[in-house]
Amino acid sequence: MKHFVLAAAAAVMWLAPHAVQAAPPAPYEPDQALVEAAKKEAKVVWYTSTDVQVSEKMAKAFEAKYPGIDVQVERSGAERVYQRINQEYGSKIYNADVIETSDAVHFLVFKREGILAQALPSDVAKSWPAEAKDPDGFYAAYRAHLSVIGYNTKQVKAEDAPKSHADLLLPKWKNRMVKAHPGYSGTVLTGTAALSKLLGWEYFEKLGQQKVMQVQSSTEPPKKLAQGERSIMADGNEYNLFLLRETGVPIEVVYAQEGSPIAIGHAGLLKNAAHPNAGKLFYAFMYTQEAQQLASDVGGLRSFHPGVKEKEGRVPLSKIKVLFTDPAEVEKQIETIKKKYEEYFGT
Amino acid sequence: MTVAIERTLPVRRFAFDWSKPVFISLVLVLGGLVLLPLFWLAYYSVLAKDGSLSLENFRALVTDPTLRKPYAIAMGMALATGALSCLIATPLAWLTARTDLPGRGVVRAFVTASFVTPPFLGAIAWEILAAPNSGILNEIYRWAFGLEQYEYLFDIYTFEGLVFALSCYTFPYVFTLVANALDRVPTDLEEASAMLGGGVWTTLRKVTLPLVLPAMLAGGLVAILQALTMFGTPAILALPAGFHVITTKIWSLFQYPPKPGLAAASALPLLLITVFLIWAQAKIIGRRGYTTVGGKSGAARITPLGRYRWAAVAFVTVVLSITVIMPYLALLKTAVTRTVSEPLTWSSFTLHHVNFVLFEFSATRLALQNTLVLGVMTATAGTAIALLVSYLVARRSVAGASLLGYLATAPVAIPGIVLGVGLFLSYSSPPFMLYGTIWILFIAFLTIEMPAGYQQLSSAFKSIHPELEEASRILGATRMMALRQITAPLLRTSVVATWCFVFIGTIRELSATILLTTAETKLVSVIIYDLNESGDLGAISVLGLLLLGVSFAIVLLANRLPVLGGRRITALR
Amino acid sequence: MAFVELSQLSKSYGKLTVVDRVSLSIEKGALVCLLGPSGCGKTTTLRLVAGFVDPTGGEIRVGGRVLSAPDVTTPPERRNMSMIFQSYALWPHMTVFENVAYGLSIRGLSKADIKTRVDNILSVAKLSPLAERYPSELSGGQQQRVSLARALVVEPETLLLDEPLSNLDANLREEMRFEIRRLHDQYRYTTIYVTHDQAEAMTTADVIVVMNQGRIEQAGSAEDIYKRPRSEFVARFIGGTNILKGRRSGDQAVDWGGIKLTCGDGEFAAADETAVSIRHHDIRIATNAPVDGLNWAPGAVSRQVFLGSHRDYLIDLSNGETVRAVAPPDVAIPKGQPVWLQFPPEHCRALAQ
Repeated sequence: MKHFVLAAAAAVMWLAPHAVQAAPPAPYEPDQALVEAAKKEAKVVWYTSTDVQVSEKMAKAFEAKYPGIDVQVERSGAERVYQRINQEYGSKIYNADVIETSDAVHFLVFKREGILAQALPSDVAKSWPAEAKDPDGFYAAYRAHLSVIGYNTKQVKAEDAPKSHADLLLPKWKNRMVKAHPGYSGTVLTGTAALSKLLGWEYFEKLGQQKVMQVQSSTEPPKKLAQGERSIMADGNEYNLFLLRETGVPIEVVYAQEGSPIAIGHAGLLKNAAHPNAGKLFYAFMYTQEAQQLASDVGGLRSFHPGVKEKEGRVPLSKIKVLFTDPAEVEKQIETIKKKYEEYFGT
Repeated sequence: MTVAIERTLPVRRFAFDWSKPVFISLVLVLGGLVLLPLFWLAYYSVLAKDGSLSLENFRALVTDPTLRKPYAIAMGMALATGALSCLIATPLAWLTARTDLPGRGVVRAFVTASFVTPPFLGAIAWEILAAPNSGILNEIYRWAFGLEQYEYLFDIYTFEGLVFALSCYTFPYVFTLVANALDRVPTDLEEASAMLGGGVWTTLRKVTLPLVLPAMLAGGLVAILQALTMFGTPAILALPAGFHVITTKIWSLFQYPPKPGLAAASALPLLLITVFLIWAQAKIIGRRGYTTVGGKSGAARITPLGRYRWAAVAFVTVVLSITVIMPYLALLKTAVTRTVSEPLTWSSFTLHHVNFVLFEFSATRLALQNTLVLGVMTATAGTAIALLVSYLVARRSVAGASLLGYLATAPVAIPGIVLGVGLFLSYSSPPFMLYGTIWILFIAFLTIEMPAGYQQLSSAFKSIHPELEEASRILGATRMMALRQITAPLLRTSVVATWCFVFIGTIRELSATILLTTAETKLVSVIIYDLNESGDLGAISVLGLLLLGVSFAIVLLANRLPVLGGRRITALR
Repeated sequence: MAFVELSQLSKSYGKLTVVDRVSLSIEKGALVCLLGPSGCGKTTTLRLVAGFVDPTGGEIRVGGRVLSAPDVTTPPERRNMSMIFQSYALWPHMTVFENVAYGLSIRGLSKADIKTRVDNILSVAKLSPLAERYPSELSGGQQQRVSLARALVVEPETLLLDEPLSNLDANLREEMRFEIRRLHDQYRYTTIYVTHDQAEAMTTADVIVVMNQGRIEQAGSAEDIYKRPRSEFVARFIGGTNILKGRRSGDQAVDWGGIKLTCGDGEFAAADETAVSIRHHDIRIATNAPVDGLNWAPGAVSRQVFLGSHRDYLIDLSNGETVRAVAPPDVAIPKGQPVWLQFPPEHCRALAQ
């Protein structure tokens, strides 16, 4: 990959492996000057892989707090967001101001390529644990969410529901499951890496024989559950399940005995942002307690902000067996994961 | 009897003849449109990872089963689609063109509507209808027969389901060609058979069918071509079923980490297949095609259906319900229901999706605007270029004009996704930095739509005798004046039709768009596709209906606009 | 001095030569007919004159000005010509009035002026009541007259007609021939008229130019062409004739398979082989052996048809040749009967080519 001579697209990123090393910058709190400057720019462009309804609400909240600044939400699957920023930067197009994906690997790459700006919102400096932010202040965890098992309570009784990943291999779930794709979803890429390490590739080989409905984004399996199109989701976003359940849709979350993979969704401010001040303002806003609480309430997302209160009925993170993955390790495995996956699942 | 004979009339002042410069710039423009992406495609396909020239991409293509298999599946899918399209469309065309079936005009209108519907929207509608568990049809089936959950009648997420959904949107191609051929089958041939004692069915079997067979084959090949090169429908239906076709495979090669070289190499065989299909189609049409069926024009012989009349009506109703009416109803229902699986009642009725699409979803306005701007731009520029090209070719007024015809037709053989790859490679690096602007989409659409536009207008030109222009020129008009005063008014109907055709084409396009779109240049088709990936069927339905509404309105407007309303042109020969 | 001059005019498409070194001078005000079978190059010659086709060799001069040459060609709109097309080429989206007015409005005439001139020509062409009709609402003959009116109203220096009558039925065609000649006599435009119909050419033309395979075979008055054809092609094409092929035998005679024919007219081919033309109606048929005179030959009737105004005979001669002859209707000789034919020397025309 590193020698791929491409004038176009993504490969440009790989051609210039700057080793960015710097001390973390001073924490900042939005002041009047920044707000004024942001208002002059009047717009901020946010590339995100968070569910579109959640992102739009976040945007509205920001617009309400800072009238006169529009947020343009560009939502895609994590890998599509990544593909797009690569294509655009390869073509010297700097649309995005703030970027956020559910795939932590991306931020290793972004940092290495030097397309991010250093920015350390005071909330992050104060409250975020070290695992959830870049030591050099280039990015920080905007959100985290689990990839979980889920089921439709109308179609499956609680006692019959799977309790573990191993349960998913039972014959009775053949033709009943839906899952997202690691080539498209960062959450599922992370989850696939964690589970293949924990359970071995045999798990996926057997899962592949269960005639699983294959969708792309990790936001989609909960919706297929809600529709009743499939009864079990083998992987997919916890937060979508929360949201749907809270509107009365008959679905339930299962935290597998083996553990649930966690995907940390970083966000970063882009160095070549078209709206640097509005971007910086929005970036700080994303980590404030109000925004994080909104993301939790509206989005069902897990937050690292200590002030955020979990909604009732949601199992707190501390009571769940969480599977962490090392993004650097995942990055090395991408090719293998995609290849194996296509072998077992057909796409 | 007293006409002034003295030579007092002024001889017209001379004007510059633009045909040569126009010709040269058209050659450059079309050549650039077609050849540049193909050049980069070929170049990248032989570029190794280390930057040297090698065949490793092609080696991978031959040895890697994950690349070979999508080709095999796509071929099977396309052939099945072609066959099914012919099976649906031929009887429908015959009933519409040649029998006393009631409501024949309605049938044609519905077929046109199905042509206007973007195929990816149709595929989504069929997800709503025939997903095995949540599909409306399967719900009804279970309810009607009191069956357990998980029982189903249809599963759209299968190879068969995919072929079916594709056929719903490819059969109009066969229908149009066969219906046109049937309109032209000389009545006297059929009458001769009837006089020799052949009954209605014998005549149909022995005379009429063989005469329209070439048209059916040609239409079938178009359907195969469309199916083979389509991206949206397989992406929506085949990926959940766990298999790739070639277009989705090429698309997936752009996922991280992207492999443009391999994508280019994978695209080239597809190009060869389409070239072959086009060639085969031209062969069929050229040799004993429907155009040569000719003969005396006369009212087509109408077969009375008699007691089969109601059976025929039932058949037509079923076909149209399946291909047009049910998908529309499904979209409509989904647009105003909370979740897809709920039946539409007062309690499940909601305007949430409408509200979300129109007021909350920030991408809607930009996408709608981009779609319309691009559609109008492409339709206008495409029609203009096609007009100039078909003029120069039809009148052979410049040496080498036929070259232009070939250039304008060439993109027909380039599948959208292949063109997308080629354009991406061509215009994402200097000297042509167009990636990320709507201009790259404009170029893509212009290229994709050029053959259809050219074909329509060149046949329109063929129907206008060149002497009509010569008569104008010898009376003192320059080439351009003749074009403006004589040819243009006579072509008006064809030009408006072509414009609408191109406009609809750009709205339907997804295969090339999916690789070329960026945040600032999103189109409605792309956000529909993105929303499908996150499962927002309600929002999709609203957007889809909005898109359809706008395109129908524009087409209607283009046809009714008083500015374009011309005088009677009865004897166009 | 000639008004329209074609000199060594040639047009080739690749290896195919369609017009081959045609030279022709047309006097001002003359009506010249290009006559020949289809594919003889007459229409291409006309289109070369009109400027729709560029020559590959030679040139066209009108009024001393070079209009066409291989390197410089004046486009049709600058030639001040008018043309009448085989298809009439009436514009279906314009009324009769608008069709006729078109050339005038291009010349920038005032509305009133246009109206006067158009009304005038429409009345000449007996089209006044049809002025507001569209072409599709007219009969063939009316369309033809509109086409004529449209061409004449601009008062061209040169008028070109391309098979103008071929789409009309026989009666109308005959009437229109005289109409065209009448209009020509009235306006005296220099006119080039292309046709494949000899009667049409003979009725209308001052000069008939017979073309074959891209070349001019012969040019002259109708009488000239008919009576003194210079080649076998012209003789055959204009009126029925027998071409008798033999060898030169003496100064004025040809040995035609044993029959000696003395020729009173024409020129012999330089070579040994030569041909003689004699019109069907110039052959005399006798049932008795001749008493005196030249060019008699014995034969037998092999076919006889009664055609009202005359009888048409096919006669096998003693030398094995067959000739066609016509006789008055009352000369009825049954099939198989021996006859004597005379080929009067004054009607036997030796042909060089």
